[in-house]
Amino acid sequence: MKRVFAIFALVVTTAAGNCWAQDFRVPNSATAGEDLSIATSGNGKGTFYLVGPGASIKTEVALGEAIHLKSGDLRIAGGYLAILCSETCKSTNFYVNAAAPATIAFLVHPSRVPVGRNDAVSGVALPFDRFHNLVLAPKNVNFQLVSKNAAPFSHAARTQDGIAWFRTASGKAAGAVEAHASLDDVTAKRAVQQVASEPCNLRINGQRTNGGIIVQTDPVRDCAGNVVPDGTIITFTASEANGKDTVDAPIKQGVARVKMEAKGATVVSAASGVVMGNDLRIEAQR
Amino acid sequence: MKIILPILLVAVTIGLMVIGLMGAGHVRSTVGIVSGSAMFTAKANTPEQALQNLLDDVQRRNWDRAYADVSRTSGIDERAFVQDWMGSDGSLRSFSALEGFDSRPLHKTDDEAQMRVRLHWTTPVGPMEDTRDVRLIREGDLWRAVWPKTQFANVPAEVVPVTYLRWDLVTGTASDDWGSKNIDAPRVRITSMNAVDTAEGAVVMGEVVNEDTVPAFVNVNATLVDGAGSSIDEESSFDKIAHILLPKQVTPYRIDFPNLSLKNVKNVRMDVKATLVPASADPVIGVMNQKVDADVQGKSVLRGDLMNESGQTVNIPHVIASFYDNNGRVVWVSDGYVDRALLPQSTQPFAVEIPKSLASKVQNFHVVANQYSLGRS
Amino acid sequence: MNVAQKNWLTVALLGVVLVLPALAADTAVQVQLDIKKAGPRTIENLTERGILRDYRRAWLSLSQALEANTLDPLEGPFAGDAKQWIKDTVLSQQRSGLNQKYLEQNHRLEAVFYAPEGDVMELHDTAEYRLQISDGGKLIQDEHVTVHYIVLMTPGADRWVIRQLQAVPQF
Repeated sequence: MKRVFAIFALVVTTAAGNCWAQDFRVPNSATAGEDLSIATSGNGKGTFYLVGPGASIKTEVALGEAIHLKSGDLRIAGGYLAILCSETCKSTNFYVNAAAPATIAFLVHPSRVPVGRNDAVSGVALPFDRFHNLVLAPKNVNFQLVSKNAAPFSHAARTQDGIAWFRTASGKAAGAVEAHASLDDVTAKRAVQQVASEPCNLRINGQRTNGGIIVQTDPVRDCAGNVVPDGTIITFTASEANGKDTVDAPIKQGVARVKMEAKGATVVSAASGVVMGNDLRIEAQR
Repeated sequence: MKIILPILLVAVTIGLMVIGLMGAGHVRSTVGIVSGSAMFTAKANTPEQALQNLLDDVQRRNWDRAYADVSRTSGIDERAFVQDWMGSDGSLRSFSALEGFDSRPLHKTDDEAQMRVRLHWTTPVGPMEDTRDVRLIREGDLWRAVWPKTQFANVPAEVVPVTYLRWDLVTGTASDDWGSKNIDAPRVRITSMNAVDTAEGAVVMGEVVNEDTVPAFVNVNATLVDGAGSSIDEESSFDKIAHILLPKQVTPYRIDFPNLSLKNVKNVRMDVKATLVPASADPVIGVMNQKVDADVQGKSVLRGDLMNESGQTVNIPHVIASFYDNNGRVVWVSDGYVDRALLPQSTQPFAVEIPKSLASKVQNFHVVANQYSLGRS
Repeated sequence: MNVAQKNWLTVALLGVVLVLPALAADTAVQVQLDIKKAGPRTIENLTERGILRDYRRAWLSLSQALEANTLDPLEGPFAGDAKQWIKDTVLSQQRSGLNQKYLEQNHRLEAVFYAPEGDVMELHDTAEYRLQISDGGKLIQDEHVTVHYIVLMTPGADRWVIRQLQAVPQF
């Protein structure tokens, strides 16, 4: 009888001991940058591991007491694995979500765009929290393009998986345009330069002088009337019976001007990129 | 026996020295003789020997002796003669060395001769050849070269205002905020491409334009692809392109694939890379008096004059010419360096070769003046 | 077997021994990419091949870095925050003495956004792999996991790089 009782007690004690093995409970999700408390059960000592983005922590803990994770341990959003080892190891997963948006990554293209082009300007906005986590919860983003000479363009979009975007035509007037992306009280700004398109109606005039021919363009504008920027190259070609002269001259204050040496009857033409201007016939030098 | 060996050694040494000196002008490699130290020159009692002596001395940079090989009737002073050979103003010639030369007589009488000499130069941009006709006359029992008086540009002192645009590139000091350093690369476009087979290999050529409003540093690469889609070879345009293109500027390009034929090529994949670069619209270089004719060797060349319309010296002018057929298609691209500096408000002649097989197809041409200047971007 | 035959056999065996590790590395990470839902910009053929190649390389590098606790493999395939976070993980592992192994990886990628100018792409990765975590050589975790990643990739000079790699409970 005594022997039976001893065996029974041994079994009960072992079972009881198993009932007191380590266990822990973590919330299903947490927010980046916030403290987290993990309750544990059991008695004795254990080793707690936390493995996740930017984190690889190992600490000795007392079973039955809560494990406190600091905000810095969980600043990066993503999946974490918590492991508690005593005689055996138990593990559980949880996710950390991004905090409230604090910045917007705003990608706008192009930085220079010819005027009057359809679907020429596009922008992508990605909201991030203060720890640089992508905010995946849907948010409303307001896009605006503001310039001096035109009505502002405005477009509202909702983020999907952390992204909102827009696309629009470039304006008619050359000049600087500010692109804004706003989400609650967070705003990002970028600059876009609208530039004149291809030269339109490229016209030249010229006259013969003692030294040769002086040729000059009319003010070079695009088809919308915007002055083509200074520095744009105009290629002048003077063809006569015994040869040809060419000069690549840059536009200065809206016009390009060259002096050429041609002495005979000459045909002068001008081109800018792939755009051709008129031909000019000049009599031979007397 | 005791004295035979030393005599033999001396004789062999003298013999080897004679052989070395006699062959100096005909080998391609530079003779290792220090400038100014004359070793031995044969008497200039024939026009061929006189020209040989002159060019040997030039090759050794023995200027006093070289000038002594020139007839006083030339009218050229020694300083100008040396400058004609050595170059100046940071020109390509001033970084070059005469590697060798070949000559042949054109015409000879008892007192006068005309020799054609091909000069082989080693330059930083590769080997260059220059052909000259040299007149020699007999003065007593010696022949001397008549060296033409070189016309150096006489640029008067003046102040030339620079009013052309300049572009600078500012990289910015903002932190690495994604999207904040948003400056797009320049937009450039290949406007034409033509692939042909030549005796030396396959060639891909055409033109590219900067469609943007900012300067671009441009390079064009081509990949030859076979029928299975595998790459056969990839090459770049290297210096057969004007790399810095101002807004709306057009340049030809040529990409050589040596020893390759197009017969196994199914496709040519073009890739043009453009990056932002600081640049200036100055200097403006005009290309004047362009015409196609034959050079002294009978080869078709496009020649003309480069005119520097600005106030700064262009140290190394470079000319790239595209040739079109009657359909406006680019059938060839040639390039050539001018080995003289282009001084402000002055001109320099240039000539680029047109392959014999294509000369008859050429209906039109376009020349772009490229330039490399020391100490300037 | 004569001498010549023995020599050939030796060479063949040597070749197998040298090539096998590379092959093993090659098959250690499998990636499939579905581009049907990508927009507004259509993904070009070359881009698709580039993404497949570079995403595979990135995960190979990530595995190497976390297994060997070294930062070198991270230069190249990662940029921005993703690079910084993985570096932080490696440094943290060096301090704690832990390391991770990502084995038998299979990534099913789906491109869900490709910017109009092609400067950013968002992908959803359903990644399956065997995760082993060791503490000073003692294995404390060994399980087959399925993880959902939101991935942001951007074009670099000669490759696509991962800029953001964020695990989520579901897409």
